[in-house]
Amino acid sequence: MASFAGLAIVLLVVLVVRLWFLQVIGGAGYQERAEANRLRTVITEAPRGAITDRNGKALVTSKEVLNLVAQPQDLVGDAGARTLTRLSAALGHPAGYFAAKVARAQKASPFEAVVLEEDASPQLQAYVEERRAQLPGIDLQSAYKREYPNGTMAAHLLGYTGPIPAESARKYRDQGYLGNETVGRAGIESQYEEYLRGIAGRQQVEVDARGDIVGRGVISQTSPRPGQTLRLSIDLSVQKALERALAREVAAAGTSTGAAGVAIDPKTGAVLAMASLPTFKPDVFESGTPREIQRVLTSPGRPLLDRAIGGEYPAASTFKAIIGSAALASGLYTPGEQIESPGSLMLYKTRFRGFNNKAYGAIALPQALEVSSDTFFYTLGDRSYRRPGWPLQEWSHRFGLGKATGIDLTEGESAGLIPDLAYKRQTCDRKVDPINCSWRPGDSINMSIGQGNVLVTPVQMAVAYGAIGNGGKVVTPTLGNAVVDNDGRVLRDLLSARAKNDLGLPAGVLDQVKQGLKLAANGNSGTSTPVFGGLPRAFKVAGKTGTAENSSKIDHAWFVGYAPADDPTIVVAVVIERGGQGSNSAAPAVCVTMAASLGFAESRCGSGAKVN
Amino acid sequence: MTTLTGEPQGVGARLRQATGGLDWWLLGMALAVSGFGVFVVRAATESDVASNSGFYFTRQLAFTVVGLVCLFFVLRLNLDDLSRYVWTIYAILVASVGAVLVLGASARGSTRWIELGPVRVQPSELGKVLIAFVLAVVVVERLKAIEPARLSWMVLGLTMLPAVIVFLQPDLGTALVYVAIAVAILWVAGQPITHFIVAGAVIVAAAGMILYVLPAAGLDVLRPYQVDRLTSFVDSGGDRTQSGYQLEQSKVAIGSGGAFGKGPSGATQTINDFLPEHHTDFIFAVVAEMFGFLGGGLLIAAYFIIIWRAIVIMRLAPTELERLVVAGIAAMLAFEVFVNIGMNVGIMPITGIPLPLMSYGGSHTLTNLVAVGVLLRIGMRGRAAQAAGAA
Repeated sequence: MASFAGLAIVLLVVLVVRLWFLQVIGGAGYQERAEANRLRTVITEAPRGAITDRNGKALVTSKEVLNLVAQPQDLVGDAGARTLTRLSAALGHPAGYFAAKVARAQKASPFEAVVLEEDASPQLQAYVEERRAQLPGIDLQSAYKREYPNGTMAAHLLGYTGPIPAESARKYRDQGYLGNETVGRAGIESQYEEYLRGIAGRQQVEVDARGDIVGRGVISQTSPRPGQTLRLSIDLSVQKALERALAREVAAAGTSTGAAGVAIDPKTGAVLAMASLPTFKPDVFESGTPREIQRVLTSPGRPLLDRAIGGEYPAASTFKAIIGSAALASGLYTPGEQIESPGSLMLYKTRFRGFNNKAYGAIALPQALEVSSDTFFYTLGDRSYRRPGWPLQEWSHRFGLGKATGIDLTEGESAGLIPDLAYKRQTCDRKVDPINCSWRPGDSINMSIGQGNVLVTPVQMAVAYGAIGNGGKVVTPTLGNAVVDNDGRVLRDLLSARAKNDLGLPAGVLDQVKQGLKLAANGNSGTSTPVFGGLPRAFKVAGKTGTAENSSKIDHAWFVGYAPADDPTIVVAVVIERGGQGSNSAAPAVCVTMAASLGFAESRCGSGAKVN
Repeated sequence: MTTLTGEPQGVGARLRQATGGLDWWLLGMALAVSGFGVFVVRAATESDVASNSGFYFTRQLAFTVVGLVCLFFVLRLNLDDLSRYVWTIYAILVASVGAVLVLGASARGSTRWIELGPVRVQPSELGKVLIAFVLAVVVVERLKAIEPARLSWMVLGLTMLPAVIVFLQPDLGTALVYVAIAVAILWVAGQPITHFIVAGAVIVAAAGMILYVLPAAGLDVLRPYQVDRLTSFVDSGGDRTQSGYQLEQSKVAIGSGGAFGKGPSGATQTINDFLPEHHTDFIFAVVAEMFGFLGGGLLIAAYFIIIWRAIVIMRLAPTELERLVVAGIAAMLAFEVFVNIGMNVGIMPITGIPLPLMSYGGSHTLTNLVAVGVLLRIGMRGRAAQAAGAA
């Protein structure tokens, strides 16, 4: 009997001790877990801001869609597995398809809804709505998807959006992002993420075990804040013209592997159009099939490369305008001086041949640019070699070459290359060819016609030519114009404060270069007169062709020019990879782009007199 | 009836005679716990039935009232008169639990009820008191007459017949209660300790067979959910099964109650339905969530008083039969309290045993109040005998 009472006391004391451990010692931890049970954060997605061209025409918009989502905490155990299997089967996926998706996402962010299918079709929506009771934890959730009304138009500069990459998950989380948000991953989408980003609304609600809102209901909430509208300096009509022209020239050249073009307002640096071929669908990472994504990532044509800012090409003859400017600015050449320009030049016991060995006699700088004489510029190159200092390099740098322009696409811009002694020392092989570790006369002479290691990007050339045309201002090319509200009122100016570096030259120093570029596009012997010679007087173009030798057998075609020649409002640089001669393929593309910007008839392009 | 719960002063002579020797501690605690149970059922289930917040409350209140009426009838009962019908009672017990197997209505993976018109009866619940009585009668009648070993085997056999039927319903928890009652009666009757050691070994071996050996041989005695229940308390951390979930939610409910509880309206684990079976098997977790360590501790103390009074009454019992009946009932209460609270706090397997006088349920409430009535009745007779002896 006593043993009976003793046993009862012992057992009840065990219970009380256990209770003490659970409630008094472990209480705080269990309180947190009870709160985690009871409170759920409901996310209301906010749309990402739209991107428009300078006139407010839509380039990228956000469309509201319904995503099929799973709430992982409602899909535990056998019942959850059954639900996901049934859903997988109903949508024609392998049995474990959704379960694997949920498991993966749960690891990353355990309490957030997992997107099973984006942009659910009306049939799928109906399927889910009709079977809500049989599909606990499965829901349709409103979300936003990027839409590109112009297809692949401006794909490279716009960039794309995608899920937060795993390696930078922490960085985004620190900025208040949810794990499953879509963020800008490239181009403008990434560059101006801070304005475009929509901030999701969060509502903390009390729920019961089924996830229904109960009790005190909404406990706290913040409203969703849609992203701001970003107005670009791009002019959609100019962009269309440029892309159309590039595509046509690439097709016409047949062997071309790609092309790029940039149009800039030389007064402000505003980028009017910028394009690169081959291109890609900007929504490929959001809604492309794995195979499509794989193709974009691994295609040998490198469609993701923005050749306009990241493509490095030999500058070829387009560089002559820079050399001419450098020679004038540094006194290597005096205006009016005539230089004998034969078919080839014997310098330092080496024969330097001109293009087609054509002789022009004694000519001045403007004529040399008009006909694109190589030997004239060999002489200038030789003079620079004999001079102390590095005038060619120094002036190239002042024109913005050999370094990033600072365009508002931080990722993807290349610096190009203006070779100098340091470069030669870095790249030479001291054992095999020690003499190549010094700067040699041939280096200066090759550089004078934009060959021999000189590499530039189209955007750099547009900026440099802009500086010649606008009287010496090296602008910072800028895609962003302003952050605007719904009525187009400017909330933040992105353009005015951009740096403009002055070349610091007295007025008129570059007149001979300008004159030469005008002649090159309009003169009797101009290399691109057949393309530009027939334009109306108000839209006279000044510009230079280039035919860049490269590792492939077929030359890259260049044209860089600005218009109107006396007070330019647009400067365009175009390169057609393996497009042959600049006058044949690149110049027509520039002309078409200018026509769209300046408003003359495209048919006037190519109506100039033939040059013999 | 209400006058009985009040102070006895100013009560008439007849009433004094009727309540003479009544164990006020036991009655008071049983009423207090029952009343508290009704209150907790109400607080826990207000949002369970959408159209009727008082669904469970009104029913439990009715069960309790009916149970109290039965309790006071039992106070007039003479156990000796009933011992003549012991085999009839046993036959009724076996037949009724057997009927459940045949006719029972199904609910949540187990069949424990038979429908009698609008009423659903769970014979295995009432069977707990009946088996205690039957076994006590059998032991008293044969204690001196037959070998102790034969007696133990006989009692074991008489227990196992209904216990196995109940187990097959399947209701492992109640079957275990039957075994606990039999063990207590044999123990108090003074059977040799070796019997219990052998029985213990048999039980352990049987459990091993049922849980591990037979399933390995391809013969599943238990349903999967029962295996889960029995084993989930060992490791519930990463357990995604239903019983693992139940246990986790129970621990969260209890733990989050802290020292003083979250109050009836702040007990979100219960009210928001994270804690399943919060009005039946997991009602202790509700108490602990609402009223904290203080409330849970006081409730355990109340059960201690009830069991202590049962032991006191066992000592007073005028006959051996009554002594053994009290032993069986006390064991039933103690076993249920310990196993139920033990499974709520995660130190016992989940076996579907309700908490006496607290858990929602008609048959269960009725059985417990009748059991308390039997204890009170025997206590009264014991005190009367004591008074007679002293005089």
